[in-house]
Amino acid sequence: MKIDLSTILSVFIQALSGVPLTLEMTIVPFAIACALGFPMAIVNVKRVPVASHLFKVFISFMRGTPIIVQIFLIYNSMPALINGFCTAAGIDINVFAINPVIYAITAFSLSETAILAEAFRAALNTVDKGQIEAAECVGLTGLRAYTRIVIPQALGSSIPVLGNAVCDLIKTTSLAFSMAILDVTGIAKVQGAASLDYIDAYIAVFLVYLILVLLFENLFALADKRLNAGRRPLQVTR
Amino acid sequence: MEKILSYIPQLLPYLSVTFEYVGLSLLFGTILALILLAMKLCRFRVVRAVAYGYTTVMRCTPSVILLFIVFYGLPSLLQAWLGVNIQNADAVLFVVATFTLFLGGSVSEVIRAAYLSIDHGQCEAALCVGLSKRQAILRIVAPQAFYLMLPNLCNTLQFLLKEGSLGYIIGLVDITGKAFLLNSNTMSAYVLQIYLALSLIYWPLSIAIEQGFKALERRFSYEAAPVRAADEPAVETEAISARFAKSGEAA
Repeated sequence: MKIDLSTILSVFIQALSGVPLTLEMTIVPFAIACALGFPMAIVNVKRVPVASHLFKVFISFMRGTPIIVQIFLIYNSMPALINGFCTAAGIDINVFAINPVIYAITAFSLSETAILAEAFRAALNTVDKGQIEAAECVGLTGLRAYTRIVIPQALGSSIPVLGNAVCDLIKTTSLAFSMAILDVTGIAKVQGAASLDYIDAYIAVFLVYLILVLLFENLFALADKRLNAGRRPLQVTR
Repeated sequence: MEKILSYIPQLLPYLSVTFEYVGLSLLFGTILALILLAMKLCRFRVVRAVAYGYTTVMRCTPSVILLFIVFYGLPSLLQAWLGVNIQNADAVLFVVATFTLFLGGSVSEVIRAAYLSIDHGQCEAALCVGLSKRQAILRIVAPQAFYLMLPNLCNTLQFLLKEGSLGYIIGLVDITGKAFLLNSNTMSAYVLQIYLALSLIYWPLSIAIEQGFKALERRFSYEAAPVRAADEPAVETEAISARFAKSGEAA
């Protein structure tokens, strides 16, 4: 087996141009998932009837099926849904002109929402119930006790878990190539096919992901150190 | 809806391939993990650094990329080193090789974390009451460490089941591969039905794994029953816990 360093280097440089897209498909879904997952976690912790049951089914499905299957489902059903919606609303739209990145972001957002909802739920549960009672005793309302006492502590302890989730998401975005998106992996696939030198192309992308994930891992470790100094971090399970 | 249900029986026979790579990867992955664990607990710094470096690299690699590297790299590597030709080997071989590499890293970390979280005093106490070192590890440390490993092992198994579905990319015909082929054969006319049927197979499987591990955790919980060796018969355990429950009621 021969490994050609110059090919690896040239693919590495080309793959770097896919990094912004990979980051876009990481950060946008992560932000959406934070926004949706946190209320979902609160609903589940408070055991709101009906809503918490629906969310539990959603979370269970999203965590119980492979992401690639979810991508297939969304990639194949969303164009028809958008088309139907726009026809009903009287908007003229060409669904085939829609950038597939939209579908990728939708798929990653949904699965990430389920993951983060569980992470936040676990974090909220780490805050002792006695603290809410104590807060109510000193005269805080239920909502205040939550926003002032419980949530800040829960967020602090969830940082390592969030870091893990982001790193997993970066790795998951590599599946976007199945939607014909030219992110880091997509570029490697094209380059590999063009030069018939797949192994070098994939080693180059492997290096790109290694750097990206290590970067985010260290960022979150730093944030954890800064914010949780002296506080015991939540056990990270994988 | 009927169409969805009609596709499930067509996919189910290929579940055996899915179980095959899950089982084999778990077996070989655990063997690799034990080797790495021995390296991590080794006296020599270089050996430790290699094992930790390997774990970090595996944690940072997307499954698809490693799958591709193994799929394109392993045949030429074996050809060059051993002169063995595996160009035409079954795709399942590459999937098992890929996930063995992944599991080696993650499972060795799982075992190490569990092993380290058992208080060293327990081992010393066991030695004090006259157990041999072997007995202390097998009877005192291992059962407790196993209990601590359960949640992470559950995650590992679910990871394996779900990420293994990527094998379809290199032509593996497991349930996902079969669904992919069925979809191609029908020109994507029933694409949603086929993939919904597929997810209806994965979903209960994941739930079963989760519930199975919860049951194991209850069984091995040393808060419910006193610490005991993993090889003790389960029937006896039930008798013990029943006795505890009774004495509790009497009190």
